[in-house]
Amino acid sequence: MPDIDVLVVGAGPAGAVAAWQAKQAAPELDVVLLERDRAVGSPVRCAEGVGDAGLREFANPDGSDWTARKITKVIFQAPDDTEVLVAERGVGWVLDRTRFDAHLAAEAATAGAQVLVGAEATGMSRNGDGRWHVRIKERGQEEVYRARVVIGADGVETMVGRWAGLDTRVPARDMESCAQYVLQGIECDPDAIYLQFSAAIAPGGYAWIFPKGVGVANVGLGLVALKTDGRNARQYLDTWVERRFRGAARTGYTVGGVIVHTTIKKTYADGVLVAGDAAHMINPLSGGGIVNAMKAGRLAGCTAAAAIREGDTSERRLARYHQAWMDLLGDDHLKYYRIKQALESVDDEFFNKLARTVNKIPQEKRSIGRIFAHALIRHPQLIPVAARFFV
Amino acid sequence: MRRVTPDTIAVVDLAVCDRCGLCLPLCPPEAIHLELNVLTVAEGACTGCEKCIAPCPVGALAMAAYA
Repeated sequence: MPDIDVLVVGAGPAGAVAAWQAKQAAPELDVVLLERDRAVGSPVRCAEGVGDAGLREFANPDGSDWTARKITKVIFQAPDDTEVLVAERGVGWVLDRTRFDAHLAAEAATAGAQVLVGAEATGMSRNGDGRWHVRIKERGQEEVYRARVVIGADGVETMVGRWAGLDTRVPARDMESCAQYVLQGIECDPDAIYLQFSAAIAPGGYAWIFPKGVGVANVGLGLVALKTDGRNARQYLDTWVERRFRGAARTGYTVGGVIVHTTIKKTYADGVLVAGDAAHMINPLSGGGIVNAMKAGRLAGCTAAAAIREGDTSERRLARYHQAWMDLLGDDHLKYYRIKQALESVDDEFFNKLARTVNKIPQEKRSIGRIFAHALIRHPQLIPVAARFFV
Repeated sequence: MRRVTPDTIAVVDLAVCDRCGLCLPLCPPEAIHLELNVLTVAEGACTGCEKCIAPCPVGALAMAAYA
């Protein structure tokens, strides 16, 4: 029975950074990073967009082989296809997640963590020795690992959270059902990401075009099932793609869930921390999760390492992770969540009018803040929200 | 409290299911499991609430009579 210090379940951005940072903070610890699938980073269940500043805290994108495209513009599209260019510089990147996740896992390995692919945790229990006993299936064989701290970075479907007795359930109104194609041979600005808001196209969410190169993009949408006409996310996507990109070659396809909720009430238990999508650490307005996951992974890895060094991996000690996360981003997500709720009351005609109004602002003066200010003039019910959180 | 047996429960069509895991946190009794790349609905635990049905991005879940 392997006896280790930190077992990280899931080698996405949260897990890889957790393993990397734990090992870096305390090199004497045995850290194992588990990946259920046969390759880290695959299959991709992501639109792959990431902000520049957050990314740079963990990896340098300049000249890297794990970015697909640098993004310098954001274009909002109203339901009637009116485009609003938001002028910003150094906005972000569209990643190649198959390579990016492997890069982060390699950072963990370089720091000294052991990476296991094709290895799935199938259950865990506490056996009175102050360790978690985690059953791991690899190549048809089952082995039990003993670990002082288990970090659950196992995504939307987190089982580690369940096994530890944490409530990771989400109400249906806060689950975005997403579908996405990789489309080839399409016409769009390869330096811009496009976001289209419309109840007809993606009710309760938005549709996106994230370019991966000239003529190539992740084209997808997320919607809230409670607001649809009965069709599923893939059917909505087919309708949108048929209208916007008829004849384009579909060379990839993915589906998945994005939890647009706030952080789970409790992200820790005795000897357990939960990070990233598993703990609902997603920006509820944008649905962005990669940088959130890496920041949470860093906190989890460092907390686990410090707790083990102190010889105290109790729930009480690990609660500091939760507090650190809430201070860093969790409390902001509570605010974004309230804005999301307020935006749910606006309709397509509002977005159409807003787009035309904003297009009258000179481009160099356009910013998210100014657009929001115009939204307030048109839509006074958003003022209490803005007053609370922006003033 | 005695659990009322539902008339219908969720069933998954594994030929359509993409194993994305979206339905797991939607299930109030946590009756859905994803293990070794197979999604299962625990018959005895599903309450027939249908919360998992519409959100499935590919329509792999449906209600069926609980024998």
